[in-house]
Amino acid sequence: MDELLQALVEGILIGSTYGLIALGMGLVYGVSGIVNFAHGDFILLGMYMCLGLYSALTLDPYVSLIITLPAMTVVGALVYRFVIRPIASHHLLMVVQLTLGLTLVIQSGLLMVFGGQGQRTPSFVEAKLFVVGDIVMRGPHVIACTISFALAGVLFVILRSTDVGRSIRAVHQNARAAALMGIDVGRVQTIAFAIGIGILAIAAALLAPGASIQPSDGLRYTVITLLVIVLGGMTNFVGIMLGGLIIGCSEALGTVYLSETLGGLLPYAIFVSIMLFRPRGLTWGTS
Amino acid sequence: MGYGSVPVLRGVSLHIAKGEIVGLLGANNAGKTTLINALSGMVVPMSGRISLAGADVTRLPAKARVRLGIIQVPEGRLVFPEMSVRENLLLGGINPTARPRRASELERVLDLFPRLRERFSQRASTLSGGEQQMLAIGRALMAGAKLLMLDEPSLGLSPRLVQHIFEIIERLNAAGLTILLVEQNLLLTLRYAARCYVLERGQIVVEGTADAVRSDPRTRSAYLGL
Repeated sequence: MDELLQALVEGILIGSTYGLIALGMGLVYGVSGIVNFAHGDFILLGMYMCLGLYSALTLDPYVSLIITLPAMTVVGALVYRFVIRPIASHHLLMVVQLTLGLTLVIQSGLLMVFGGQGQRTPSFVEAKLFVVGDIVMRGPHVIACTISFALAGVLFVILRSTDVGRSIRAVHQNARAAALMGIDVGRVQTIAFAIGIGILAIAAALLAPGASIQPSDGLRYTVITLLVIVLGGMTNFVGIMLGGLIIGCSEALGTVYLSETLGGLLPYAIFVSIMLFRPRGLTWGTS
Repeated sequence: MGYGSVPVLRGVSLHIAKGEIVGLLGANNAGKTTLINALSGMVVPMSGRISLAGADVTRLPAKARVRLGIIQVPEGRLVFPEMSVRENLLLGGINPTARPRRASELERVLDLFPRLRERFSQRASTLSGGEQQMLAIGRALMAGAKLLMLDEPSLGLSPRLVQHIFEIIERLNAAGLTILLVEQNLLLTLRYAARCYVLERGQIVVEGTADAVRSDPRTRSAYLGL
């Protein structure tokens, strides 16, 4: 019983960050119809930036955000404006191929700079443990969960009740009508992509403390993100956060009750079975 | 003017005077929507010139034309379905020219369409066709329309509602708004518009006052495709 509870708590802690990461992808998909297959690699880019800043200036990953957040946001805007947008009106497969290409560029770039061996970024919270009853929670996970939910809340409020948020939703719901109201659709898409990548800078800082990373880890995150947003219904805000929790929990349960490798398969098994019964995802509300 | 290399409109020339209601008539596929999309800046003409009050706007992007007050109410209304009436109207006033006056404009639009006030926090997708048309017009007014271009406002509405919508259009015009009415409905348009153009296969075949257009035999043939 304790084992189960422990696994569920760990799942929720990590799953909230998966949800946050997937919100970034959902945001981009919602306004431009683009699924960014380099999403996970941008997380790795963010994590290696944390590592680099630690090596050079002994900055804690959380402190590095002062630099990585604006940097990644700008990178996101530039990548959309000058790399993705010129291709965006072409065939969907071209865009898929382009983002897959970005994957290789980022991965190889990281390999060149940081090498292929596993490396970790230490943090002051790394060894902290929170104990509630018999349940032990790792410090970075607790911080990650708190910030992920808080940020999801902030994002929700921005989308609901600011002009930028309303423009994003307008482009999602009817791009032509948005353009007729004087909204610059291309600009909104660029902003959404920049926010999406900016979120990844934060996610990277949340995931970085103590985690061993390799340049090739991006794919794992991309796949998890894809599972989460498909489960959540692509653009459904609550659905995506929930999808993150489900994937996080199934991963944690799998690792506890099954072997390490077999456990890693559990999220995919759960994903396939949910998709069999709810092919349109878990959505019940609206975007 | 056209899509790709296939011209949709050829040699079209029309002018709208300040404060006028001008009708743009024609059967399906005559090029009516392409024409107002060109005026909105949604398609770029291959050649030709568009000017507003003497200033050339041919190369201006859509958002700049919205700021000048050239606003289109698109065919099928295209309200934002998952947003409330309030949010739809606020989005109408999102351009930098309209935004400072958004609160007062909102009141004016709600006074004009009391129905929208009743439905204020309801999602647009739950509105009836007539209410959606009111919302689309209200949204355009929020944008600070000086030239209001309505694409098939009567489409899919009951005769009574059409009557109501057109009375409001007439009232807006009486208050000084310039209107371009794009319609398939010949008789209705002739009743409200002072002058009309009839478009057939991308060319203007008849133009003149409503009476002249009504009695011109080419109007009928443009509609029947003879």
